[in-house]
Amino acid sequence: MSVEPFNRLVKLAARAFYDDITTKGDNQPKTGRSDNRGIAVVVLDALTRRQWVREEDLAKDLKLHSKQLRRTLRFFEEEKLVTRDHRRETAKGAKIFSAAVAATVDGQQTAKEGEEKIKLHTHSYCCLDYAQIYDVVRYRLQRMKKKLKDELENKNTVQEYICPTCAKRYTALDALRLISLDDEYFHCESCNGELVAESDKIAAQEGGEGDDNARRRRREKLKDMLQKMEVQLKPLIEQLSRVKDLPVPEFGTLQAWEVRARAAGRAANGDSSGIDPSRSSLGLGYGGSSLPFVGDTKVEVDLSGAEGKGEVIKSENESSLKVLPPWMIKEGMNLTKEQRGEAKQESKMDGSSASLEFTDDKKSLIENDDKKNIQDEYVKAYYAALLKKQQEIEEAAKKHDLSNAHSLNGLSSMSSSRQVGMKSKRDEDEGDDDVEWEEAPVASNANENYKVDLNIQADASGDDEDDDIDWEEG
Amino acid sequence: MFFHIVLERNMQLHPRHFGRNLRENLVSKLMKDVEGTCSGRHGFVVAITGIENVGKGLIRDGTGFVTFPVKYQCVVFRPFKGEILEAVVTMVNKMGFFAEAGPVQIFVSNHLIPDDMEFQSGDMPNYTTSDGSVKIQKDSEVRLKIIGTRVDATEIFCIGTIKDDFLGVINDPAAA
Repeated sequence: MSVEPFNRLVKLAARAFYDDITTKGDNQPKTGRSDNRGIAVVVLDALTRRQWVREEDLAKDLKLHSKQLRRTLRFFEEEKLVTRDHRRETAKGAKIFSAAVAATVDGQQTAKEGEEKIKLHTHSYCCLDYAQIYDVVRYRLQRMKKKLKDELENKNTVQEYICPTCAKRYTALDALRLISLDDEYFHCESCNGELVAESDKIAAQEGGEGDDNARRRRREKLKDMLQKMEVQLKPLIEQLSRVKDLPVPEFGTLQAWEVRARAAGRAANGDSSGIDPSRSSLGLGYGGSSLPFVGDTKVEVDLSGAEGKGEVIKSENESSLKVLPPWMIKEGMNLTKEQRGEAKQESKMDGSSASLEFTDDKKSLIENDDKKNIQDEYVKAYYAALLKKQQEIEEAAKKHDLSNAHSLNGLSSMSSSRQVGMKSKRDEDEGDDDVEWEEAPVASNANENYKVDLNIQADASGDDEDDDIDWEEG
Repeated sequence: MFFHIVLERNMQLHPRHFGRNLRENLVSKLMKDVEGTCSGRHGFVVAITGIENVGKGLIRDGTGFVTFPVKYQCVVFRPFKGEILEAVVTMVNKMGFFAEAGPVQIFVSNHLIPDDMEFQSGDMPNYTTSDGSVKIQKDSEVRLKIIGTRVDATEIFCIGTIKDDFLGVINDPAAA
């Protein structure tokens, strides 16, 4: 809910339409001193910086007499720019209120509050009604344009007639009733006065009869006015179109707003100390006009600020979900692969094959670290065993070489197999190493699946892993 | 605009018309009653073109009158805003002129008369262009556009304009 574009709209509209509005009655003489034009703009501007505000407070802030302010506000209420609410608070309630306030709140405010409360019984509040303002301004523009255009084209306008003596108005639709028998003019029904056409009201102010010259002049003037209007109201129109699709800030009724503002104020203060509950209870008990120091706009800013912070935290959480630094990852943490980050895994993994396996197998990630540890040990043990076995094999092969005729063949096949492929290797292994290899699987029973994976990877990759096949057999 | 529609009306018939030509009497009375009237809803009833059906009559206590519900087809004329009509000028004055299109009266105010036409008073008041080629006076025929209607329960009154393309005098009796 952004109020700013709407505030701008209000300010533009105020300057466009209410700049020279004077709230003085017509009977009062207009001296330079009492000329209060521009007050309307000041009041509207002040209201854009507030939400619901008590009129006395506003008057004090603007250093206006409250009567003058009220007159202006009443005018705006009629113009449908402002909603007002009047609430009657009993003197007793006010006294209790002030007493209670004195007990809780600091002195300066107490005095102010109490004094006002006791003196005034009916309090008026006012607030801008943005939704309505938007409509009102659009309607006003539309009417202005239509009026000028109609006048300009003299088209589709129902001619109006006015009786100069009794000021009664007629339209051309009444014409049939108005024609008199004795002359060619229309006559008023009530006073029989001669009616005059009333269409040239805008331009005919400087006199001039309905002759051609005057008409032409009028047309020019109207055209000029229309153009001027377009130019001068351009910012306002632009603002209107900008605001068109925005959600309208809605403050609700005074009561609803108060409840919300109070909650927001408490949230913003953070400390729900003794002041707040007392105030809220008072507010509920005595008409709820107890928001003296929660600056209206301030409340909103705080609220949005809090929200913003929350969002920031949230976003941080989200980002942290993505990649955790390695030192933050502990055993047993339920993290996804992405959280850990690929690079880290690989660095931990000695065997590239293992890392590959991990990236592929998401389920195993939970016991990731356990596995890694085991794997490391496993690999070490494996290499030790392998070394040992190779020596044994070589010795055995030598023996075989000596004893058996085809042992030479076997040796060659074995050595070749180490480089080339596993099949031959397996064949070779089948011979005598089974027993030894079986030990390791017993030790690491739980890691069956891991082992299998490792082996499969090994098929694809390099020399060393060739031996892994043996594990599979085990 | 003209419409051909079916309307219904309860006709009260005097007992003296009961007889062989009750139906003819009923229809002629209907025509006399309805044709030329104006209702705000349907406009002017121009003519009855046929009887759809005549319902069962109901004898009134005391009077002996019988009420027949009659459904009849008729042509109605209802002017609409924006409609173009041809009308005969009936009166010209300083404020504009009045014209009639059949039953409907139309007022054209002097603001809705083209700017180049000026009012000439005299014993035959008229609106004339500066070169005198076009003249609007009583009995002129004009084509005009309706820009407003006032529809009462029993009356329709229109205001029109001739300040638009192809509007204005279509036949000047003085020239003819």
